[in-house]
Order: sequence, then structure tokens, then C-alpha cells
Amino acid sequence: MSFQPFDTPKAWDIAVAGLIKENPTLKMILGCCPTLAVTTAVGNGLGMGLATTAVLMCSNMAISLLRGVIPEKVRIPSYIIIIAGFVTVVMYVLKAWLPELDKALGIYIPLIVANCILLARAEMFAAKYKPFPSLLDGLFMGLGFTLALFTISTVREILGSGTWFGLVLTKNLWAPAVLMILPPGGFLAFGLVITGMNKLTNGKIATPMCATCSPERCAP
Amino acid sequence: MMANIVQQIVITLLTAILVENLVLSKFLGMCPFLGVTQKTSTAAGMGLAVTFVVVVTAGLAWILNYTLLVPNHMEYLQTMTYILIIAALVQFVETVVRKFIPPLYKALGIYLPLITTNCAVLGVPLLNTAKNYDLLMSLVYSFGAGAGFTLALILFSGVRERMDKADIPATLRGIPSALFAATLVSMSFFGFQGLFAS
Amino acid sequence: MNLSAAEIYQAIVVPTLIVGGVGLAFGLLLAWSSLAFAVKVDQRILQVKAVLPGVNCGACGQSGCESFAEAVVAGSAKINGCPVGGEGVARKVAQVLGQEITNTASFVARVACGGLAGCTRQKFTYEGIKSCTAASGLHNGPKACSFGCLGFGDCVAVCPFNAIVIVDGVAKIYEDNCKSCEKCVAVCPKKLIGMVPRGKNHLVNCRSTQKGPVVKRNCDTGCIGCTKCVKVCPASAISFANNLAKIDPLLCTNCGECVRACPTNTIVDVTAPVVLRKSLA
Repeated sequence: MSFQPFDTPKAWDIAVAGLIKENPTLKMILGCCPTLAVTTAVGNGLGMGLATTAVLMCSNMAISLLRGVIPEKVRIPSYIIIIAGFVTVVMYVLKAWLPELDKALGIYIPLIVANCILLARAEMFAAKYKPFPSLLDGLFMGLGFTLALFTISTVREILGSGTWFGLVLTKNLWAPAVLMILPPGGFLAFGLVITGMNKLTNGKIATPMCATCSPERCAP
Repeated sequence: MMANIVQQIVITLLTAILVENLVLSKFLGMCPFLGVTQKTSTAAGMGLAVTFVVVVTAGLAWILNYTLLVPNHMEYLQTMTYILIIAALVQFVETVVRKFIPPLYKALGIYLPLITTNCAVLGVPLLNTAKNYDLLMSLVYSFGAGAGFTLALILFSGVRERMDKADIPATLRGIPSALFAATLVSMSFFGFQGLFAS
Repeated sequence: MNLSAAEIYQAIVVPTLIVGGVGLAFGLLLAWSSLAFAVKVDQRILQVKAVLPGVNCGACGQSGCESFAEAVVAGSAKINGCPVGGEGVARKVAQVLGQEITNTASFVARVACGGLAGCTRQKFTYEGIKSCTAASGLHNGPKACSFGCLGFGDCVAVCPFNAIVIVDGVAKIYEDNCKSCEKCVAVCPKKLIGMVPRGKNHLVNCRSTQKGPVVKRNCDTGCIGCTKCVKVCPASAISFANNLAKIDPLLCTNCGECVRACPTNTIVDVTAPVVLRKSLA
């Protein structure tokens, strides 16, 4: 049985944690693959963030509903299958209704399955708490992720293409730094935004979770 | 005919390792790239484990895709079946290695559970499907991708080990400085763009 | 929507069968493999591992706590082989294995340098990698005394128990935290750290083998070779060789005569809270 009674955090605490204090990308360094890959334009970053939020909300809810049923030993494969199911749904919804976004994001949409954030939240929150708080946690963690993607893609698009959200800003004034929309620029923008975040939260250093994200480690 | 195939294999390999490096160009496998590269020994271990899993997974995924999914027009099940294959394979490999090669298990064992949610391991079969490779090219590309991943990890861990000794301001210590170093490593690999005229 | 039976079959039943079938096949494969390839683990190894500190420091000579547990059960390691756990752990391990243990002596690490920043001179200003090993490679380090502690903290970084602190440019080991894993001994490039039996509190805080006038020039608290300590020790525990005095901990009785006799404050009592500075007129 993976259900354990814990004091459920309040909605406000969940919101603050997801957006700022435990921001999955900028504080816990989870989900770095899409963060670097799709943030070449603000539209792409926002689209990826919102798609991930949708999957996160659904998967958190589903896993929380099933938390009393899934046996301990097979919980990781079960969570992954549930997440994969929702990702497939979102994938085809995007293909049907937002084909340009689907084309821009490419293989990174099915790769939402391998996004560490989803498995981490499933293990750390949805497996322990009731469905509605899990839904909220999914929402705010997803929004925190979207916020991070939005910030990084703003930096990259303004510096790298001279536009923002497609609106021409400085493109015709001076030549943009094309490096920023190329892979090295992704690393650079990510590093700058994390440094900014560290400075804003009074130098509380970001500690990477993903590399040590083993089943034993994820469950505190 | 033979020369043609060999040429294709070499080009695919070099593309996978250098031009479209999994980590530095396609941003797959970022989590271990930032997480296990503090020491070269752990980086090498992770790289080898990932290469092995990626090659076997790609092969199995190709077979499953073209025998079960495509004939039934069920391409939408690709994501799910690929991840099933990965989860099962990693668990199976861990059990087998633990039984038959204990020293290897001691060295690599802890990395195997981390590979299940590695973007690179899911990304390679998806890339193979997107590029419509046949079985041989899928395996070649997967091996190249794994080798490129290992190369990137080992190079970056060398940079990081050196950087650890330097005096870095508190806000930049850890991940930000690693990312700035990664920018430069990625820029150096960018020089391989356009290596092949195609 | 009017769906014919064939369409329902195609859209719902077939995918469920495919994914379910593949999942079931893999599940059975994994279940079979976990039984067929099961690795029999001696239960005692797990029990021994449970009582070990779990720091994986390698002080026992094995590659980690699990390896030590395996070695102890196999008989190739001593029951009291874990210096970090000390007597408590040795007793628990003996209990698990149903064996007797003999008493073990407890050792502690000590840094043999008293050259604080205020009383030493520098050869040059060092602007390189802040690591003792690196600094020591450059003309034996920036300190005027080439035997002295450089204070960049390689030992601090390697100690798993936070027992070492750099005070005034010299490493100081807090003996309450030291678990004698000997990692600091291995990492110090000047080989200044040695293992001493716990409870023997007097130490010649210098390792310089240079002649008195040279030592005096480089450091106010170095051993100048006056041999007053040798003459005054009632237990004859102090020997003198290579311009350096040395206390034999096995003979030392903690009487403290050497501390009082030493004109340069080189010999210290490590339990004393403050090093009393005598006037060096």
C-alpha cells in the first residue's frame, strides 16, 4: 500500500512551493531537457509549459486516485505508464488543434513522459495525498515550470531573434545574437536565469535533484 | 553496394556522435549531464550504462514497432510501448547483471534505475522512428548516440573537476557555473555543424 | 456517433490487447528473471550492514560498508575492523555473528603544526588554486617554513565527520568528532597529520627538521632544538632527532612538564582552550 496519512499542505503553501520556493526547474533542476530545447521562442516555451501542466494535473490526479491500489514494488513502472497515457492524449490533441506548435516542439512532446518533474511529483506528492491537493500541486508545479520556460525563452528570443512572442522588437535595429537561439545559448540563458533566481531568493543555492532521482531518493 | 552501406554507417555514426550530439545539440539526457558529472568515474559509468541500454532498447523498439504497431496502424501507441520496453529492459538488465557479473553491478548498478526516466533513452527510439531508419541504421545510430553521450559526459566531467578547485562566488556555485561551462563545451561542438554536405 | 462493431474492435479492443499483452509479457519475463536469477544474500551480511555507521568512508580497507559486512561474514576482516564505529559497533557486529571481541584501542588524528597566521612568515603571495596539494607543488607552498600547514583545507573537504576546521590558517582537529577514518592523514601533502592514542594530550606541534636559527626566522612557534623538554620529562618519553623533538605517546604520562619547559610554545596540551603565549624576550 502506498497510501500514508500525512498532514495535507494548504492550497496557498502548495502554490508558493510550486511557483517559487520549490520551482521544479529553477530550484530543483528537474526537467532540464525541454527547458533548454524548446525555449527558442516564447510561444514554444509557453506551449510546452502548458502542455506539461495539463499532463501533470491529470497524472497527479489519476495516481492519487490509485494510490491505495498500486503495489509498492511496481509503483515506478505504473506511474510511468499512467503518465505515458496522458502524454499520448495531449500529443494528439496538439496535433489536431495546434499543428504549428506540434511542428515546432517536435519529439519533445512525447518526451514529456521522461520529464523528471512528473515522476518526482507523482512519488513525492500524489502517492501520499488526496486527489484534489494533488491536482493543485500538479497545477502549480506545472505553472512554475511554465514560468521558468517563459523567462528563459523571453531572454533567448529577445536577445537571439530581436522579437518577443513574434512581435518585432529590436530585429530591425541591430543584428540579433544568433548564438542565443542555438544550443550554447540555451545553456547560457538557463545559467543566467538560475543565477538571477539564486540572487532573488537570497542566495539559496539550487541543488540538482534529477541525477539522484532514484526511487529510494525521491520518497523522503 | 557494400561500400555504400559502410559509407552510410560511418556518416550516421559521426553525425550521431559529433554533429547532432545527444546532449550538446539535442539536449537529451540533461539530468545526468548536470548531475553525475562531478567525477569522471561516475560520468563514464553512467555513459556506458546508457549506451548499452539505448542500443538494446532501440533494437527491441524497432522490432515491436514494425511487427505490431505499424501493421495495425497503431502509431499512437509508440510512446507507451517504448517506455514499457525501457522500464522492463532496465529492470531485466539489472537483475541479470547482478547475478552474472557482480563487479559490473557494483560499478554501474546504481545508475540503472536512473536511466528509466532519462530523456535520451526514450528520445533515441523516437528519433529512429522519425528518421525512418531500418534496423541496421537504427542500431548504428543508437550506438553513435550513446557514444556521443558518453563522450560529452566524460569531457564535461573533466571541465567540472577542474572548476571545482576554483574560487567561485556563492550565487554561481554549483549548477550556474556548470551551465556556463556547458555553454562553452557546446560551442566547441558547434564547430562540427555542416561536417556532411547532406 | 454510430460505430460499427468492427470499428469499436479496431479502436478500443486491439490497442488494449496490444499494450496489455506487451505489458503482461514483460511482467512475466521480469517475474521469471527475478526468481531465476535471484542472488542469495547471506542474511547475516544484511544484519551486519545494518549495525555499521553507513558512511562508506573506506577506513576499514574495504570499498564501503557493504563490502566490509561481506568480508566480516566471510572471515577475511576483523570484527573490530571499523574504526569509525569503534567499540560500540564492534560489539554489535560480534553479537550478530555470535563471537567474542577483544578490547580495541581508540586512535585520533592530530595536526602537528602550530604556525598560525600571526606568527609565521610567507615566502611569496600565492594566487593559485586554493588547494593544499596544488600549493605544495609550487616551491613547497607559500609559507616560509616548507614543513608547515598551508591551511587551504584539503583535509577539511575530505573529512566525512566535519571534525576539522581551519583556525588562523592552520588545520585544527576537534577530537570529539574524529572517528579515525584516516582520510585526512592520506590527503595532507605535508604529511602533518598523525594518529595518536586518544587520551595522550601532549604533542610537539612542529615537524620541521631544519636547524634552530632557520626555524626561528620562519616561525615563532617552531621547534628550535633546545632539548629542554628531553631533559625535563620524568618518563623519558621525548626523543630528539633531526633537529626535532618527538613525544612517544605510549610512554607519556600527561604530566605537562614539557609544556612548561618549552621556550617557544612548540609543545602544546591539545585539551587546553587557549595556547598561552609566553613572552619571547
